[in-house]
Amino acid sequence: MIEDIINIISNTLISMVPLTLASVGEVITEKSGIVNIGLEGIFILSAFTSTIVTFHTADPYLGLISGIIIGFLSGLLHGVISIYLKGDQIIAGVGFNSLAYGVSLLSLVAIWRSHGSSPTVAKIPVILIPIGGYTKLSIPPLSIIAIIVGIAAWWWLYKTPSGLKIRACGEDPRSAEAMGVNVYSTRLYATLIGSTLTGLGGAYLVVGWIGQFTKFISAGRGFIALANVAFSNWNPLYALMGGVFFGFFDAISIYIPIKLQQTTGQVFTAEASLFRIIPYLTTLIVVGIIMKKVRMPRALGKPYIKE
Amino acid sequence: MSKGSLSKLIETLSERLLTERREYLATLIETSSSLILALLAGGIVLAVLGYDPLNVYNILFRYGFGNITYLLDKSTPLMMTGLAFAIPLIAGLFNIGGESQLYIGAFIALLAAYYTHSHVIGILAGTIAGGLLGAFIGILRVYRGINEVISSIMVNWIFFYLIIYLISGVYYNPERPHESIPIPKDARIYPISNISVIFAIAVLASILYYIILFHTDIGYKMRVTGLSTASAKYAGFNPDLSMIYSMLLGGAAAGLGGALLVLGMTYSIDDMLSAVYGLGFTGIGIGLLGRLHPIGIILASIFFSGLLIGGQWVELKTGAPPELADTLIGVIVIALAIPYVYKLLVSRLIQRRVIE
Repeated sequence: MIEDIINIISNTLISMVPLTLASVGEVITEKSGIVNIGLEGIFILSAFTSTIVTFHTADPYLGLISGIIIGFLSGLLHGVISIYLKGDQIIAGVGFNSLAYGVSLLSLVAIWRSHGSSPTVAKIPVILIPIGGYTKLSIPPLSIIAIIVGIAAWWWLYKTPSGLKIRACGEDPRSAEAMGVNVYSTRLYATLIGSTLTGLGGAYLVVGWIGQFTKFISAGRGFIALANVAFSNWNPLYALMGGVFFGFFDAISIYIPIKLQQTTGQVFTAEASLFRIIPYLTTLIVVGIIMKKVRMPRALGKPYIKE
Repeated sequence: MSKGSLSKLIETLSERLLTERREYLATLIETSSSLILALLAGGIVLAVLGYDPLNVYNILFRYGFGNITYLLDKSTPLMMTGLAFAIPLIAGLFNIGGESQLYIGAFIALLAAYYTHSHVIGILAGTIAGGLLGAFIGILRVYRGINEVISSIMVNWIFFYLIIYLISGVYYNPERPHESIPIPKDARIYPISNISVIFAIAVLASILYYIILFHTDIGYKMRVTGLSTASAKYAGFNPDLSMIYSMLLGGAAAGLGGALLVLGMTYSIDDMLSAVYGLGFTGIGIGLLGRLHPIGIILASIFFSGLLIGGQWVELKTGAPPELADTLIGVIVIALAIPYVYKLLVSRLIQRRVIE
């Protein structure tokens, strides 16, 4: 029993990382008034890029860095489209998701002649803490970074002048401009920070967690992160808690069928699909309960046009 | 009529003509430049990956549009998911759930046709199932304030795994592993002398949607709601209700698409859902490229159908994967997200012509 609890905590620490990084990043982006629905696409594209880089260099840390770069570039594209070209942010994000999926899958086939998954690559080692006899609590180093990022983002947004400027751009860009804030550049760097953190999360999916790229590697996690942003009421600290919360359901949806197979000896094939529903259903229910009570940034998703 | 009012009339008329021409021109530029951009971007990706883009595009367009019956068959579910995205967007909602609305339509149509041996009941059951699932997302948005993009994606994944479970665990075909029970022979829809019947049904449905949108009270209310919920309230009707209706109609379209697909093309569903996966997402690009207009969507669905069929031929002949279509669709959608740029372009063009 204790062994199960430690395993589930370990798995939760693993699965909270991409959700937390992307959610906290998206909170920063949305606080400035820009919504980036392309988190899923950034996850997929940076996961794929970090697979290629790690495969060729055998260095998972270079894989992480490449994911960060892809995240940054994706944010630049989204920022230019939604801030300077005044495009529709939702449509641009939806298009980016499709593009990222298409490019990654095209490249997967072109490079490794596989329609499903890449070869396995080197992973970042986890910190192992022995507890009691046999079991060890494993802590991925990036989970610590994710926690620090969450706290730092909260402090930055709510306790510093530059954080106030970001929030002003999301609430009332016209007044922010009148106060001497450059709305365009503020929104751009808020978008870049968000997408860069998401890119880190996407690279982590491969080099910190799964160990290879698969077609369904992201499996809607980008959208769970978006749901978590609303769940957190646009507060990085709550987004951090939400990351752990949704990470937990992600973890048990994988853990329960494996555990059941071990204890009963039965092989679940069809039923395993039913367990995969857990994280999505919980997200839907939790957001359904909480949503009426939250308040989003007032200028969220609206292009700002200078007079 | 006095001279003054006549010149005023001419002035307003010419102004109207100019704005109308400006709109048509903007539409033309937007659509064609998004297509050109997509082909360029796709070409760059192909070249980087070591394929010859010209050869790939040659195969894509030559074979993609070669077999008319297959082209129209394949465009049928796409036309419906295009409408599933477009109708709610006209009322201001982003229905990304065409995917699951199509799954449930196909699955319920399969069950209904299996037990009743009637394609009519299959079509009706699938359409209603899709419509209800769409309305569910609309209700969540209106009464619980859940962003429809998030709920749609969650519902997509829930139904993806649920239907995989139902097909592999409950309604599987004992004679054929990895397949669902089949549509009985007497409930299948076949083409009549090379004319695709399911395509004809889809076109009729599109025309029906056109009439609903532009010639009925409910269509008018949906369009006003999409422009501004405040003016809807001011005009004395409930925008929330129009949003739910738009999701009901959108979902029903996707459900009908799923039903027609399974009754007229695949006759069963595989346990990885590869027969239905992705059709809803493709519908987003079709709805946008078709300018959210039912007639435009018919044309866009045929074009995308050709891209998808051509993509399969490209894979067969060059080994480049069919996800090329996703890449092209992604660029088309991104390019269509920035109408501001085209408007700027058009006003520059017209200004220059006026000066000349």
